[in-house]
Amino acid sequence: MLSMRHLSKAYHTDTIKTQALQPFDLTIEQGEFVAIIGPSGSGKTTFLNITGLLEDFCEGSYELDGVNVEHLSDKAKSKLRNEKVGFIFQSFNLIPELTLYDNVDMPLRYRKLSSKERHERIMDALGKVGLASRRDHYPAQLSGGQQQRVAIARAIAGKPSFLLADEPTGNLDSKMAEGIMALLEDINAQGTSIVMVTHDPNQAARAQRVIEIRDGILSEGKRIEKAIA
Amino acid sequence: MLGYYLKLAFISLKKTPFLSFLMIITIAIGIGAAMTTYTVSYLLAKDPIPSKSEKLFNVRLNSFGPDKPFNIAKGKEVPPTILTYQDAMNLQNAQQGVRQTPLGSFKMMTRGITQPVTEAKMTAIRSAYRDMFSMFDVPFKFGGAWDEVADKEGLQVAVISQELNDKLFLGENSVGKSLLIGESSYQIVGVTDDWYPIPKFFDYRVRAYNKPRDIIIPFNTQINNELWTSSDVSFLCWKEPSDDSFSAILASECVWVSYWVELASEADRSRYLDFLHRYSMEQREYGRFLREPLHQLFNVKEDLVDRKVQKEDGNIALWLAFAFLGVCLLNCMAMMVAKFHTKTGEVGLRRAVGASKQDIVAQFSIETCIVGLLGGGLGLLLAQFGLVVTAQLYSHLYAEMLEMTFGIVVMTIVLAITSAMAFGLLPILHAAKVQPSSQLKSL
Repeated sequence: MLSMRHLSKAYHTDTIKTQALQPFDLTIEQGEFVAIIGPSGSGKTTFLNITGLLEDFCEGSYELDGVNVEHLSDKAKSKLRNEKVGFIFQSFNLIPELTLYDNVDMPLRYRKLSSKERHERIMDALGKVGLASRRDHYPAQLSGGQQQRVAIARAIAGKPSFLLADEPTGNLDSKMAEGIMALLEDINAQGTSIVMVTHDPNQAARAQRVIEIRDGILSEGKRIEKAIA
Repeated sequence: MLGYYLKLAFISLKKTPFLSFLMIITIAIGIGAAMTTYTVSYLLAKDPIPSKSEKLFNVRLNSFGPDKPFNIAKGKEVPPTILTYQDAMNLQNAQQGVRQTPLGSFKMMTRGITQPVTEAKMTAIRSAYRDMFSMFDVPFKFGGAWDEVADKEGLQVAVISQELNDKLFLGENSVGKSLLIGESSYQIVGVTDDWYPIPKFFDYRVRAYNKPRDIIIPFNTQINNELWTSSDVSFLCWKEPSDDSFSAILASECVWVSYWVELASEADRSRYLDFLHRYSMEQREYGRFLREPLHQLFNVKEDLVDRKVQKEDGNIALWLAFAFLGVCLLNCMAMMVAKFHTKTGEVGLRRAVGASKQDIVAQFSIETCIVGLLGGGLGLLLAQFGLVVTAQLYSHLYAEMLEMTFGIVVMTIVLAITSAMAFGLLPILHAAKVQPSSQLKSL
């Protein structure tokens, strides 16, 4: 479970304070599929970064799976992020010099697992996204959709509680996007919570819950009906 | 994780081969220059006989005439570093040290007994008392020093170097065999093992970094046989010999014999100085030693510094070489900043998937260590090349001497790695500080 209380975020320069996120309360239960929508610059990515412990917040409190993250050291936050959170990015963020196997291996390396267990998890994750047979290929040898599948495999290999996806289909055509969405729904169905930033109302409609961020203000959005499409 | 970081390091170096090469070659050039200079400096400045350098003393007596001093240095009169034959023999007969020996030298054509005259080689020969071998810790491969009778009688015996033994006797034990010095036969009693004191503290300054002489014979044998090569000795006179004969040379006030004494300890020095004082006062009664009694004892280190074979203070060339290494490392540091800057996206990603700052520092540190190691390896080759060039440029340094010791090789590699790490630390810490969220859209 993820719980944020009176949490806010502001950026400061010498003279200007920009309130990126106004104070808000939010709870996301285990197994939920939440879509984050809102216009560009509204604070969606900031919200996702704070949720994934990549950025600090200014005020309030945040508990991730029962752990208060406020006073954690960088090392402890990294460990928590490694164990609880998986990231999926719009531009896939695969390392081009590494094979698919090594890309998926990356988060597992920081968890000090045995090589046997890492191998099993990597092959399992690559199998779930249908790319086990291409484990020795490099990202450049794959299509965009396949690259995003590898990124998803990397995110789920560590068996995280939450998947944080920042416009995961933003760089894909509609057919590939549909494949990725179906994969995310499968993963969610197996109990992993998903928080997905999207501009696409059709994808937001597939989430169980929608949160809208506008000018840094979070509000529980209405459930978007698929009929919009 | 070390294996993983090594794998990532090699992938990273392969990704930017030209930049990696530049970093490695920059370190290598700096290390090569610094270690060439350090090796030469170390070898020139090392203690040639550490176990005894405090106990071996070069003896100096102010035997020059009343009209003018032997030399003036820094406004003070200094005695010659060598003695007259008669003084050397008087000191030798007095036996006031634990061991003592005069040292003479000459050159002569030498060859094996069975070799034709045409194969004779001009050879530099040392003459000494048998004490020299134990005083200077000369190791023997075969046989040993000649006996006391040979010293006293001046018998025709010789100790030869391993190198000469290899040439004349193909490395076999030649003790009991003979060789010809001039046309006289000398029986070999010993073959020295590897013996390369660096510097050769008992020889003239210009020969201090040459290899030891191949043949050593008893001092009295040189005297009995009147073996003399004026070009091979410093022969300094305040009063010319009465004639050109060898006996006139021996009886003259000209100095040419180096004299060394081994004392039980540094504390024994004042006792021997008292002896020298008494000796010089005694000589005054015979009309000699009319100048100030500036008798001196210099231990090995003092003698080398006094004769300017070694420098007492730091070596400016060494400082300059290490300053050059610093400049190279600063250049390398700038390249590391550029290299790690291109990896901020990867850093952001790794941080996002759970790497801590320490993990990032460890990953890049391994990469930097590899750059340092490769730079050090290449630097070693450049340093070896530098030593070969140095040996060719300075003919008074014999090539075999200018070799890196195992300690210097290890030191080179350690220096390369630690200096690469020291100068790489700032770029590494800078890279690890990257805010991951700011880089995730730039990979």
